[in-house]
Amino acid sequence: MAKRIMVVDDAMFMRATVKRILEQGGYEVAGEAENGHIAIQKYAELKPDAVLMDITMPVMDGITAAKAILQIDPKAIVLMCTALGQQNMVIDAIKAGVKDYIVKPFQPERVIDGLGKALGAS
Amino acid sequence: MKVEHIEPFVSAVFSVLETLTGAKAQRGGLALRNTTFTTQQVTIMAGVNGEIEGMALYGMSMVTAEKIAGAMMSCQCNELDEMALSAISELGNMITGNAATQLSQKGFNVDITPPSVIKGSNVEVSTKTPALVVPVSTNYGMIEINVALAENALRKAA
Repeated sequence: MAKRIMVVDDAMFMRATVKRILEQGGYEVAGEAENGHIAIQKYAELKPDAVLMDITMPVMDGITAAKAILQIDPKAIVLMCTALGQQNMVIDAIKAGVKDYIVKPFQPERVIDGLGKALGAS
Repeated sequence: MKVEHIEPFVSAVFSVLETLTGAKAQRGGLALRNTTFTTQQVTIMAGVNGEIEGMALYGMSMVTAEKIAGAMMSCQCNELDEMALSAISELGNMITGNAATQLSQKGFNVDITPPSVIKGSNVEVSTKTPALVVPVSTNYGMIEINVALAENALRKAA
């Protein structure tokens, strides 16, 4: 059965792009969220196998949301997928329990490889 | 506003556009602009905060925006609908994020805000500091990078 992934990004274009990459890579999109606050609610509701999370979003940023999801479910698999590649942000995310940090713009294979490794290691 | 602050934005436009669309870009000359200026037909605005604060604006014609959005979506784009505007906005997010990463490598701890897109020319924009401007010509037309940034008081005191 295909692994179910939740896509969190404020940009409709990115949600559509990532959705296409995931479906072509054999994954199922469990749901989408456009900010961190909605992501936390939908994570509890949808219980996806992994979350692809943007950082810069209105209402609640992705790092705050990832920390909240990992606090609720320490086994959650969260991968950041963001335009920001600052070392301090990467360290902060990894310390919080994030499994991978993908910097935009990315090649589709980077997302599929990152997810495969994160899900394979779980 | 220091010239070193705009360079990461110029190189970010080059690298992000090439990765997303394969387009090559060529930079024009640097100019200084007043704190109040008018927008082009399409302008992406993104805020920068932290040890350097201000705004980055990327202006272009409607035709250029439609061509770039079309290349990003791998389709012909004849109008800036909701999806095309989202693509153009994400372009601004990626450029500003890439520039912020380069600024952090130079020792400036900065973050960015989600971008907004202004559709419509002659909208007056005011920035806290005068903007440095670099036009960049691409396969899709010209993109004008306006960067109005200043080191904040905490950074200056450090």
